[in-house]
Amino acid sequence: MLFVAVDIGGTFTDLVGFDDADGRLYQAKRLTTPDNLVRGVLNCIARSGMDIGVITKLIHGSTVAINTLIERKGARTALLVTKGTRDVYAIGRGNRPEAYNLFFERTAPLVPRRAIYEVDERLLAGGAVHKEIDRGEVAAIADRINAEGYESVAVCFLHSFSNTAHERAAGEALRGRLNGAYVSLSHEIMREYREYERISTTSVNAYIGPKVSGYVGTLESSLNDHGFQGELSIMQSNGGVMSPEIAARRPVMMMESGPVGGIIAGAEIARMLGYANVISFDMGGTTAKASLVRDSVAAMAEGYYVGGYESGCPVMIPVVDVIEVGAGGGSIAWIDEVGALKVGPRSAGSDPGPICYGSGGTQPTITDANVSLGRIGAGEFLGGEMKLDAEAATRGINKAVAGPIGLAPADAARAIVDIAVAKMSLAVRQVSVEKGYDPRDFAMVASGGAGPLHAVAIARDLRIPLVVIPAFPSHFSAMGMLMADERHDAVQTYPAALAMLDFADLLRAVDELEAELLRMCRAEGAGVQIQLDLRYVGQEFSLSIPVSREQLRKADCDGIRAAFDHLHEQRYAHSASDEPVEMINIRMVASARRTKPAMPAPAAAEPKPRFRQAVMGPGAPVQCPVYERETLPAGYVIEGPAMIQEYGTTTVFFKGDRCEVAGGGALLIHVGS
Amino acid sequence: MLDPVTLEVIRNTLPAIANEMAADLQRTSYNMMIYEVCDFCTTLTDAGGRLISQNVGGVSHFVADLGVIIEDIVAREGPDGFASDDVFITNHQRVAGQHLNNVVVYMPFVFRGRLMGFAMTRAHWIDVGGMSTGLGATPAVSDPWFEGLQIDQMRIYEAGKLNKTLEKMIRDNIRYPESSIGDMRAQIAACRLAIRRLEELVERYSPEVVEASIGTIFRETETRCRNIVRTIPNGVYEAESFYDDDTVTTEPVRIHARVTVADGEMTIDLSGCSGQRVGGLNSRTLAGTRVAYKALTEPAAPVNEGSFAALRSVIPEGNIMMARYPAPMGGWSLIVPTVVDTIFKALAPAIPDRIPAAHHGLLGGSIVFLGRDPKSGANFVLQSLEGGGWGGRPNGDGMSGAVSVCQGNVKNSPIETMEIKTPVLVEERALRPDSGGPGRYRGGLGIDVRVRNLVEGKWNLARPRRRKCPPWGLDQGKAGGGADYLLQLPDQLEGAPIDQVMRTVPPRSVVTIRTGAGGGWGDPYEREAEAVLEDVREGLVSVERAKLDYGVVIEPQTLEIDAAKTRALRSRRAEAAE
Repeated sequence: MLFVAVDIGGTFTDLVGFDDADGRLYQAKRLTTPDNLVRGVLNCIARSGMDIGVITKLIHGSTVAINTLIERKGARTALLVTKGTRDVYAIGRGNRPEAYNLFFERTAPLVPRRAIYEVDERLLAGGAVHKEIDRGEVAAIADRINAEGYESVAVCFLHSFSNTAHERAAGEALRGRLNGAYVSLSHEIMREYREYERISTTSVNAYIGPKVSGYVGTLESSLNDHGFQGELSIMQSNGGVMSPEIAARRPVMMMESGPVGGIIAGAEIARMLGYANVISFDMGGTTAKASLVRDSVAAMAEGYYVGGYESGCPVMIPVVDVIEVGAGGGSIAWIDEVGALKVGPRSAGSDPGPICYGSGGTQPTITDANVSLGRIGAGEFLGGEMKLDAEAATRGINKAVAGPIGLAPADAARAIVDIAVAKMSLAVRQVSVEKGYDPRDFAMVASGGAGPLHAVAIARDLRIPLVVIPAFPSHFSAMGMLMADERHDAVQTYPAALAMLDFADLLRAVDELEAELLRMCRAEGAGVQIQLDLRYVGQEFSLSIPVSREQLRKADCDGIRAAFDHLHEQRYAHSASDEPVEMINIRMVASARRTKPAMPAPAAAEPKPRFRQAVMGPGAPVQCPVYERETLPAGYVIEGPAMIQEYGTTTVFFKGDRCEVAGGGALLIHVGS
Repeated sequence: MLDPVTLEVIRNTLPAIANEMAADLQRTSYNMMIYEVCDFCTTLTDAGGRLISQNVGGVSHFVADLGVIIEDIVAREGPDGFASDDVFITNHQRVAGQHLNNVVVYMPFVFRGRLMGFAMTRAHWIDVGGMSTGLGATPAVSDPWFEGLQIDQMRIYEAGKLNKTLEKMIRDNIRYPESSIGDMRAQIAACRLAIRRLEELVERYSPEVVEASIGTIFRETETRCRNIVRTIPNGVYEAESFYDDDTVTTEPVRIHARVTVADGEMTIDLSGCSGQRVGGLNSRTLAGTRVAYKALTEPAAPVNEGSFAALRSVIPEGNIMMARYPAPMGGWSLIVPTVVDTIFKALAPAIPDRIPAAHHGLLGGSIVFLGRDPKSGANFVLQSLEGGGWGGRPNGDGMSGAVSVCQGNVKNSPIETMEIKTPVLVEERALRPDSGGPGRYRGGLGIDVRVRNLVEGKWNLARPRRRKCPPWGLDQGKAGGGADYLLQLPDQLEGAPIDQVMRTVPPRSVVTIRTGAGGGWGDPYEREAEAVLEDVREGLVSVERAKLDYGVVIEPQTLEIDAAKTRALRSRRAEAAE
């Protein structure tokens, strides 16, 4: 079978393909074509040299959803809400996260006030009908929407997560009357309380809906026109894939499909190596991202804010929990007005890029520091395709950093790298230590062009004992897509006191949710996992506790309760086993495991290191061995300090560290203390 | 000399610890004043009470305000009087200077036998006994004993051992002990977490290096603030305003700021403010001067002792913001946003491009309704804080429906949350058209929240006191305002203004919480006609007010500008002015 993943990123479109019959690997990297993304996908397939007609499974991740939102290039959208809540979208939560900023602005709604229509209907908490919906009223609104020419409509009524009838009635009335506008109902996107966040999420779905569903449709038909006969899947923010039909209905699920690929790959590769607990670390040109995988499952966030928490747009769908810091290869080192050395968050990007690229960059970056230290080979960057100017990098560091604060040049370069490492360590702490997990129990999987350069230093900082550098670390996101399972998430708000929980009713709700999710799965043999969001009475934030169907059938209040107390203790270092507990949500994940390609074993070659002068610690530079990765056979062991070079990145480790090549080609670096 | 890497690591780590404490406290607290309203702070100080770091976000009037508590306890216990795992608790107004609900829980950081600092939290408990729960009952509270339980710097844990007597005393004298003892547990856990993190840091870098780094961070922060203040022309700037009354007597509460800028030094003198009052607006706080200074200097940077080293705050004893114990402090923070705005107003002529017109200046629209649900038999408290309008800015319109300058990341309660937790029906949360102060850049709009209570209960409906001095405009901009409470009993056709606390009402009464709007910036006749038209089309400004306030004539049927009439109207006023 031929598995292919195509990942459209901001700069590059990446393709990775693997044929598990003959073990052949395909790779291609083309510049992304923002004006015609579908062409970019087809170009990439053509470039890889494979026959499109024999592709069995094609998995696709795309920035189309997030870019449509960020660039505000979505549909002209109308919104229907419950009477009295027209301004909820504009008011939001009333907060000003930048407390002292007199010029703070919250995110502007995607729907202008005049396109928000109130419907005289009302449900009460729990879902009882207070005021029946009048379909005639909705039809009249549909006429106005037609007259105004809106291309998309979102519907979000109060308490619709408890009773979907009014939204469904509105949906039918609208669809029967609109001139082909896209319709999005809040309960089809999320069934969770908090109306502002649900209005925002539903509006995002409606806003990007026409464009993204159009894109998915065009992609599918273009592929078919070119002879594609396999199965197309679309990557989601939750780390799973979905069918094109679901993607067209719930495009908001595609929002963060890029970064999650690498996390899924990290989890899967570590699992194959026998490690269930993983910190995934990805460092590229502008940012570094960290996330946590426990028992081979990526940690999820309940939602996030597109554009940042402070002024971003809330999208409350399950997304792989990623902490991002502004530290990438292109991050600029600078001295602030009081003489402190800072690294980032400003980045030289790819244009002009670091000084050593010789394309006009004048400010020293993390990449310049690594080149200056000899940790990146100036003549061997991207397999020698691009020559770097190490002397210019060193001069730039002297001028901008070493001179002003009176450091020796090599010390300044090392300080830049060390400060970047410290910043990234804080990000890794946020996903681990700060969530109650001890990094000593984890392995770190490092990817991205700059990840393998810095991972070992970060691991040492946090006492992570093992760093894994997978095969193809700079194509890791696409690799991850090859390994993703089909997955659908649902949340249903269901407030109840745990001690008085009506388990029979809860099971009915669980069955309903399960049927809905399984309908979305294409693959056979899909299974579900159930979690209950619990909290002590009076708390607002909840913890998700996994439960089995058996526990629900047996009404195992005590067992569920004990699991909650235990997790609360672990997460927050206190608990209260004598206090009442309530549940607020049912959470469910339906997933179907997909066949995964087996990675090829490394070739049995004879490694012959060359030596390069490099600064590998305090003190003078040393003659450091540099290995070519493709020459390393399985079982080979290298003692640090050493470097392992490959297309797109270099792995760096130090005195006391020991690297061992695993059977599947991954590098396992045992970090010395 | 400190190496730059170590300094940068420590600089980034200290605020991260305070933020981690905050996340821990917020996620495990039991009352919405903490988890939703973020009415808390988490802080690290050195052994002398100097601020090392504080959480970002949350309520800004807590900025750098815990040092006095440390000075007091260290003076009492001596530097050797602390053991690891001591936990202190205090809310006493003699030193803490705020309403009693704000309970401070803190722990000493003792490293190898030496006191190195403190991990501290201050958080709003939902109830501390006394005659009123929670927010908005200021007039009923005439001294600290009416207000509630006073705890004066007590050890709730002595070297890790719980003082059961004290805990029982607290438990027996508050209305919701499960909630508040739960909050205390969350506060202690946050402090313990910080102590663990501090130990890791000091073990790694040594006490000397950490302390030297903190000193450097203080100095660098001070320098940056001075550099910014140097961009303000030297001079003495003054402004005054009023808060309607102190809720007991009718005499207006004078607010006056005298700001002296001299070569990077700033002195903010509040001596001209009212003396302490019989109504509970009193406090002991530097929040007014510090919030203003922080906004003017480094609004985005983490705060530490250096942030205020180049600021001199002058507030004499007996001033309303430096009241002598036992002055009533139930509404301690109510005037602070107006004080901050008055400081800005003083500086507006000096730095017109950095100062917006006045905002609503109120710590709410607070929604406070309490009672017992006859169905479940359980007590309930409904609380939410609603935002109002911000002033027009030198470069754009003010925000609508946003919390005050003192409230930062305070969130309103979702309608669905309110209805799930309490027997009410929220009929409306809406912007109030025409409320924004007219200006070239319009003030943000106030909002109306209409709540119908489904069971009998008590409302706190103390009228917002900015009627006589509504949020001012700047540079010919007009005032905003209009904050009020309206009560409509079941037999009444419409709501009427009300000013009453703990008002018992029958089921199916309707209360409207009405928040104020911001003042306008610049002459409204200079507002672009297209911008006025957009406001009309969006329903934020009526056709009538467009004409009266902005001189823009809009055809009500087509919603198009009548250019000729607009020109005539606008030029008529220009001629009249000449």
